[in-house]
Amino acid sequence: MFVTLLLFRVFTGLLEFPLGVYDIFSQYGEALTRGLCESIKLAMIVWITGLVLGGISGVLGAKFPKLFGYPLAGLAFILSGIPTLVFLFWLHYPVQAMFNVVIDPFITASVTLAIINTFAVSEIVRGALRDFPEHYLVAARVCGLGKWQTVRAIQLPLILRQILPALLTTQVTMLQATLFASLISVDEIFRTAQQINATIYKPVEIYTALGILFLAVCLPLNGLALWLRKHFTRNLSEN
Amino acid sequence: MTHSGELSAKGISRKRGDTQVLSAVDLVVKPGQITALIGPSGGGKTTLLKALSLLELPDEGEVNIDGASYKFPLNDRKNIKPPWPELTVVFQQLFLFPHLTLRENIMLPLGKATNRSEQLVHLFERFHMQSFLDRYPNEASLGQRQRAALVRAMALNPKYILLDEITSSLDVEQVALILAEIRSLSESGVGILLITHLLHFARQAADSIVFLEGGHVIESGSKEVLMNPQEERVKNFLTMAEFAS
Repeated sequence: MFVTLLLFRVFTGLLEFPLGVYDIFSQYGEALTRGLCESIKLAMIVWITGLVLGGISGVLGAKFPKLFGYPLAGLAFILSGIPTLVFLFWLHYPVQAMFNVVIDPFITASVTLAIINTFAVSEIVRGALRDFPEHYLVAARVCGLGKWQTVRAIQLPLILRQILPALLTTQVTMLQATLFASLISVDEIFRTAQQINATIYKPVEIYTALGILFLAVCLPLNGLALWLRKHFTRNLSEN
Repeated sequence: MTHSGELSAKGISRKRGDTQVLSAVDLVVKPGQITALIGPSGGGKTTLLKALSLLELPDEGEVNIDGASYKFPLNDRKNIKPPWPELTVVFQQLFLFPHLTLRENIMLPLGKATNRSEQLVHLFERFHMQSFLDRYPNEASLGQRQRAALVRAMALNPKYILLDEITSSLDVEQVALILAEIRSLSESGVGILLITHLLHFARQAADSIVFLEGGHVIESGSKEVLMNPQEERVKNFLTMAEFAS
């Protein structure tokens, strides 16, 4: 209730905020949209790369635990302990200096976040495959289902139902992590907001506008994750 | 000894960790006959069922499925020709696919075999399933799920069907229904192995009885075993079982 009231007051520019969020949108809408497009472009690269590579490495990790599974799990464990920002800075400054190269910050941010997403997706997929109940495979076998028919009709639908909510939540987190790209000068939405703020100094309204834009993108994704969790996990219980 | 036209185990042994689950077990399931496997819990009945269906390979012994002989230990698992679904199993835990309705569970293994629709309709009617076929397993009662699992196996037209405690949650009417149905299956030439703790069910259904305990066959023979057991242990078990029921 408080948040709704606050958002309403901030958005309409009542009392406390002479230049309301609405004015920010009307005056700087184009710049914010440009920034948001850049953020979404970055997120799309991170999502697609992470889902494809993470999916493949997750399957390989489950199928060949010694060769892929354990090394991937170890790397994911280490990576999960490194703050995203630190990892981003490492790849942007010392690594590039070490190899004496200068890489476009957008590419550096894409690679950094794609690596993080790949490991996150890989662990979700590997865990789901590893923990897949063996008895469904036995049931499929005694029913005479072939290997691919079992994958297509039994394993894939059950695993997708199990991992989709977690995958969506991870992708929303990755979208939010694109904000870090501003710190290595990628012109995404947070950097755009910073630039506007440097001009007019209205941090509350500007960052509220940023929050609203993010909410508009993240809420449907979170809602979808919630819906999937509610509707698909229902049928996963046999009893 | 010829093995064609029957399902048999000879000298089957299986060890799990330090526990000898099966010790040199012999058993035969003949087409058109019902063999009941009885005995106390943990005696190795389900392990024997899995060994016969090649789902859990024995350490030693021989399994013969209609002339195809497998001697254990096997040199290469790839040499096994999958016996399913000509030999199929209904497990005590049923293992229905939870994302499919009961109807879909039954239809999926049939693929595009549309010529079985008449048989399916007959089975659905026989088992009074029309009212709950479109429920998911978690929306159906245990009895309804048991019937669905049994029909899923029967619809495959198997030559051998191995049933693990399929009557455990059914009421007397449903048990009678299943008894009639598996008798009819048996009369049509299907070989049936039945694990059950219901002695009256075994008495009415089975042509032969095998009593298994501690991984050993203690006594086997015709259903006379249930009326006049020779082994003291079987006598005690039957007395206790009758008392409990």
